[in-house]
This record gives sequence, C-alpha cells and structure tokens, in this order.
Amino acid sequence: MPAPVALRVVCAAVGLLFAAPLGYLAWRSFTGDESLGELFTSDATLVPLRNTLVLATVTAASTAVVGTALAWLTTRTDLPLRRLWAVLAALPLVFPSFVGALALLAAVAPGGLLDGPLGWVGVTPSRPEGFAGAWMVLTLFTAPYVLLPVSARLLALPPSLEESARLLGRRPVAVFATVVWPQIRGAVGAGSLLVFLYALSDFGVVVLLRYDTLTRVIYTNRVLDRDRAVALSLLLALLALAVVAGERSLARRRPAVEAAGARRPLQVPLGRWRWPALALVVGWVAVALGGPLASLGLWAWRGLTGETSSLAAGGAGLGDLVEPAVNTVGIGLVTAVVAVAVLLPLAYLSARYRARSGDVATGLVATGFALPGLVVALAVVFWSVQLPEAWGLYQSFVMLVFAYVVHLGVQSLRAAQVAVGSVPRRLDESARMLGAGRTRRFVTIDLPLMLPGLAAGGGLVLLSTMKELPITLLTAPIGFETLATRIWADAEAVFLAEAALASIVLVALSGVLTWLVVVRRSDRLA
Amino acid sequence: MKGRHVVVGSLACLTLGATALAGCGSDEDRLVVYSGRTENLVGPLLEDFAEESGIGIDVRYDDSANLALLIDEEGDATPADVFISQSPGAVGYLDAAGRLEPLPDDVVDLVPEGDAADDNGWVGMSGRVRTLVYNTDLVDASELPDSVLDLTEPQFAGQVALAPTNGSFQDFVTVLRDQLGDDEAAAWLEGMAAGDPPTFSDNTAIVEAVGRGEVPMGLVNHYYAFRAKSEDPDLPLENHYFPDGDLGSTLLVTGASVVAGSDLEDEAHQLIEFLLGDQAQAFFSEETFEYPLVAGATVNPALPPFDEIAKTRVDLDELGGGLERTTEMIDESGLNR
Repeated sequence: MPAPVALRVVCAAVGLLFAAPLGYLAWRSFTGDESLGELFTSDATLVPLRNTLVLATVTAASTAVVGTALAWLTTRTDLPLRRLWAVLAALPLVFPSFVGALALLAAVAPGGLLDGPLGWVGVTPSRPEGFAGAWMVLTLFTAPYVLLPVSARLLALPPSLEESARLLGRRPVAVFATVVWPQIRGAVGAGSLLVFLYALSDFGVVVLLRYDTLTRVIYTNRVLDRDRAVALSLLLALLALAVVAGERSLARRRPAVEAAGARRPLQVPLGRWRWPALALVVGWVAVALGGPLASLGLWAWRGLTGETSSLAAGGAGLGDLVEPAVNTVGIGLVTAVVAVAVLLPLAYLSARYRARSGDVATGLVATGFALPGLVVALAVVFWSVQLPEAWGLYQSFVMLVFAYVVHLGVQSLRAAQVAVGSVPRRLDESARMLGAGRTRRFVTIDLPLMLPGLAAGGGLVLLSTMKELPITLLTAPIGFETLATRIWADAEAVFLAEAALASIVLVALSGVLTWLVVVRRSDRLA
Repeated sequence: MKGRHVVVGSLACLTLGATALAGCGSDEDRLVVYSGRTENLVGPLLEDFAEESGIGIDVRYDDSANLALLIDEEGDATPADVFISQSPGAVGYLDAAGRLEPLPDDVVDLVPEGDAADDNGWVGMSGRVRTLVYNTDLVDASELPDSVLDLTEPQFAGQVALAPTNGSFQDFVTVLRDQLGDDEAAAWLEGMAAGDPPTFSDNTAIVEAVGRGEVPMGLVNHYYAFRAKSEDPDLPLENHYFPDGDLGSTLLVTGASVVAGSDLEDEAHQLIEFLLGDQAQAFFSEETFEYPLVAGATVNPALPPFDEIAKTRVDLDELGGGLERTTEMIDESGLNR
C-alpha cells in the first residue's frame, strides 16, 4: 500500500532537519583546504578507520548476545528479583563515558580497588587496553541499547506461541530458538545497530583505553588541523548513512513479523539453571554498574570524610545538586517526548509502508548519532548563524532540544520502527472496515500495542540526554547546569569527590526513571 | 541561575514558541564570558568582579579547544565578549583566525614580556608548569633525571604515562619543536614511543593511575598532583620539577582575551585587569596552586621559585609547518597506536 502523501511530506521535512550535521560537514569539507581523496586513502586515515569498523562491529555483536540474554532472563523467566535486575542492568548506559571508564579503570586496573581481593586469590590484574579493553568496556556500557528494546519486544509478545511449544515438550532453549528468536530478531538488530553507531562516535572510552579510532583523530586535530577533523567527521557520517540504509533495505526483504498483544507476562521456569542464571546476571551488574559505582563511592566517601577535601570544607554538597538534577530530569523528559513524537511518522513510513525514501531518511537520522556530540553541536551553531530565522533561537532551550534530538533521535526511531512493524495489519484493516477513522485506529489499536516499544525508545533517549555533555556545554542557554556538566567540570579540575557525588545522584535518578518510564510501564501494559 | 526555575522556564519557552524565546536569552548589557577554566578554578573570581563592579556576568564553561571552535563558528555574531583559555593553543588559534580584539598596552604590560601575544591578542593570566609526577612508593627521587629529554633512556621505557591527545602535551611538543627543531623533537617522541609507554586521555587520568600505582610516573602539568593530594592526603604522589630551566619544566600560560566584535570592550578590559589584579593573582597562587604572572605577586611556597623553571615562550606563528605538524609528529611517532 503506498504511503499517504502527507506522511511523505512530514518525513521529508524530518529528514531535512536531521541532515543538518551532514550538510554542515559537506559545506566545510568542500570549502576547506584538505584534499579529500588523498586524506581518505592515506594510512593515517585507513588504519583508524579499520579499527573503528572492527570495534563497532564486534561490540555490536557482543552486546546483541549479552543484551538479549539479559532481556530474556529479566522478562521471561522466574529469575529471582528479575524486575530489580531489569532496572539495574539498564543503568550502565548513564555513565558519561569519560567518568564511567575512569571509574571502572580505578576499580579493575592494577592498584585499583579490586587489586587487593584479586591478589588474595592469586590473580594479578592487568590494565584493560587496546582493542580488547575498548571492546570490553564499550560492551559493558552499551548492552542496554539492546536490552531495553528487546525487553520491550518480549513483553509485547503474545505468550500463546511459547506456551504451545512448551506444552509440546520443548526445552526452554529450543523454545527460544524456534519461537522467540524470529519474533525479537528485529529488536536485537535495532539495538545492536545503535551500539554500532555509538561505538563509531565514542571518544571517552577509546582514548582512555588506548585504541586508535577515527574519533581519536578527529578530537586530537579539532583545533590544530581543523580541515582534517571536519573531513574525517564527514567520512564517519557517510559510513553511518551507508550502513543504516543498507540495513534497512535488508530489513525490507525480510518477511514482516506481526505479533503483539500480550495480556500477561509468560514465565519460563529455569529449573536447575535458575541459580547459575542469577549468578550470571548479578556478575554482569556487579562489573558494569558496581565496578564504576565502587570507585565513585570511594571518591565521594573520601571527600565527605577527608579534612582537606573541598567537599568536607563546605564545598558543593548534595544541596547544590538539586538544581542541576531538576534540570537534568526536565530536559531529558522533554527531549525524549519530542524525539518520539518527531520520529514516529518516519517509523510508519519505513516500517509499515516500507517506503524506500524512509530508508534514506532513517540513514540521515542515524548520522547524528554516529558523530561525536561536539560535531553535532557545531553543526547546529553553523546553521543558526547561516539562517536568520534560526538565530532568534540561538542558545535557547528549543535549540538545545533540537540538537539533542538530532544527536540521539535514532534511538527512539529504531525502537519505534520495531514497534510499528509488530502491530498486526489485520487488526487495523478490520477496524477500517468497521468504519474507524485513521486517528481513532491509531489511538485505539496501534498506540496501546506500540507503547512498550515507544517507551523503551524514549527511555534510551532520556538516559542518553541525561548524560549528554558536549552539546549541553556548547549550546545550552548560558548558566544551564546539568549533572553531566557538573561531573565534567569537577573531574576536569580533579575535584573527584564532587564529581563522584554528582555521578551517584545521576545513576540513582536514572534508576528511578528507568523504573517509572520503561520497566513498570511495560510490565503493566504487558 | 540559582533559585530560578530553569526547567519551568524551559517548558514555558517551549510552549510559548519562538517569539517569546527571544526574551529568554541573556540581557544585552551583561558581559558574556566563555571560559575554558572550569568553575572551580575561576568562578569565585568572576562572582567577586560582578559584585565589585556592578557589571552582570554570564559564563559558559567548556573545554578551551571546544570554546575556541564555538567562537570561530559563531563568527561576527558571537555573543561572547571575553574568552578565558586554559591553554595557549586554543587562544592562539583564535588569535591567528583574527577572532580576537587587541588589548590595550597598559593591560598587556602588567605581565612580563612573552607572557602575552606579540600582537596583544591575549594576555597571560596564570601559569602551569610541566612536570613529572611520580609514585613515591615505586620511585626513588634520586633516580629521576635532570632533563625531560633523558626519559628516552632504557630504564624509563614504559614507565612514564603520557597523554598524547591532550592539549597541554601537544603544547609541550610544540615547545620542543620550537626549541630543538623538528628533527630532535621527533626523535624524542619516537624514543618515548619505543618504550611503549602507557597513554591516557588527560592529566586527571594519569595522576589517578600514578596515585594507585599502576604506572610509576607520568608527564603532566603540576596542578593535578596538588589537587589529588587535597582529595586524599595519603596518596603517594610527588611532582618532580626538572631543574635549571629544563624544557621539561616549561611554563604553559592560561590566557584572557577580548573577542572581536564585542560591544562591551570597556567592561571586558575591566574584567581582564581584575584577573591580573592582586586579589585574583593571589587566588591563582593560593587556591589553584598556579604561578601568578604579574610582577610582585607571591609564588606559592610549595612550588619551585619562578627563576628555576623554563622561560620558554613560543611564537606560534613562526613555527615551521604550523601547529598541524605537532599532531602529525605525535601520530607518526606511534604514541597513539
């Protein structure tokens, strides 16, 4: 069925907005001095490019495995305290990458917190670094990109299929492989694509763990050799565009999977695997969340009890964090809602009508996330200066939210595409034959079925916005402080106690919001 | 912004639409400062200035390099009146791009010659010295070298942490190029890289790693060990200052400048003069452990006297191959692999 013209027009406009970074980079590249052909074929580019691709691909694969396992265990089984683990497993996403990696290193590197206990059992820790280190740390911090959409999909899945398979005597693993996997494949793909894009853009982890990627080159040269930094950012954006557009055309060839409308969550008894499974989940949460939190806790404790620290000497305490905390939650919620609303039409165009133009627009939306936030921020500044109509909004909240949505919007888009694709068309068609209008069908049929998926996508945007740093620092209204900007400023000046306290508050707030927005909501809907 | 309901304001802005938004911006007559020094390191001074002068101040804090890029991108439309840079590289970039308004001679003359741009584009405010931070449990002070150039010797191979992507390391390499020539600077970089040294993202990460004993030593700016020890006095950390004006103890100045096109030039000059005044210079010396630059200001007794550190000043414009060559050389040395 062809897409309605109005929908196409809306999506074209959305695609145009998300082309802002790409347009900026193209303009700067072609007006700069750098010879693109020479740069893109030199070893100084190709080696980091290969590293980037390897890291992004392998991390996407490992998070697909871990994220899916965690999602299945915390939504579909009788794992003890599974709702608690569902929230905790999502939280490593909220560590701003520079402080999360720093704190994790302080826990697991030689001389770190775990050095003593590991020494008792005869293990000498070595510093995670290079490819293996960057891969491990990125996997720990980005698995929630898979976990949240897959959990949402699992919760929306009717349990009848699985129940029949189980009644036929299939073991849980066989049920998963033959019945569940085909239904969640789309969500796993969507989540690991986000991880792939994130790994393209990440700077904090790769530079601390010493792995030479394109973003490392971009950051190192951003002032000293600006033309090169811009040209390499363009390369990164084109890469994302190609990968995502390619993934979309592959997805279009797959048969549509339409099954949604679970009335109650199904529980698979794990039997004798219950405790090993619990150990696995607890172990994961302990390293990914507990590791960084332990270091942060130590830094904060040292600050609160130490005589010479500024925290004990009446520096910034919890009271001073109230305003940044309110700002963080407020701007995060606004951004999440705007992102979901702006990108839902595009999700319809590409997932329901399977329009080719939707693939291109999806690719454009993805470029914003594959680029470092700094580049997106500068692109928004560039267009604000170029377009007199936009200058009135310069450094306003509208501009800030716009920049956030351009950078992070793809997170809600991918989850929304999965959600739209899983609404059975026959329900919609029956309702149409019964005379229900488009709006009524959307509100009464599509929306309730899609809500867990939309909430998961919005939740990802929410958590990512709450930790976002470069865009906030460069484009927010002057004086607007978030927890992330506080953490950055304190860590930068080695006020580690203050940075740690703010990080702990950020994690705690994110936990509450993940519970309210994602886990509890989807449980109730399911 | 204290006490203002920012989020409520933001929601109001969002719902009221574009016309109302113009009113949500800052007032015309407030001085807008883009600061590469974080709030901990300059905020109290800016508040004092605002109170004493009656001039309202709005401050945007970020990394110096990112703010330099922002000002360059904003061009003539920039809201910024004053740019405070934590590193000579960022403010030098803007000066070369013609984005800074020359300062009056009487402001520039407050600091020694060489601590300001030749064209008066910016003036030095305070200084940080390059140093070798070491773990006192792992390293005997008597074994430490007298020159940073000796760190390429075999006994130091892999023992010294570096931050090759960091601005202050890049500035230091630029100084090496200026003083020794590109060949010798490249040889030093390759000598360091040959030992496969641990590398980190920035000074904070190096000092943290040296403090926990993961790495015995690291090349950083002197400020970080002081801060880390006030967080935890038990940390086995000390700075080793390369003696006799060695290049390893080069002074990197933080700078203040007026952004081209500012319509509050007088107020901007007042602020910069305040930052070079007694109160501010004492703040830099006592609170942030830095070298004050104005003649007559007292150096913190915990630091080596001013005449024992390197007086190297680099004319960035005259450096062959420009600053781009610095990052290329660091890349070519293999330190980033």
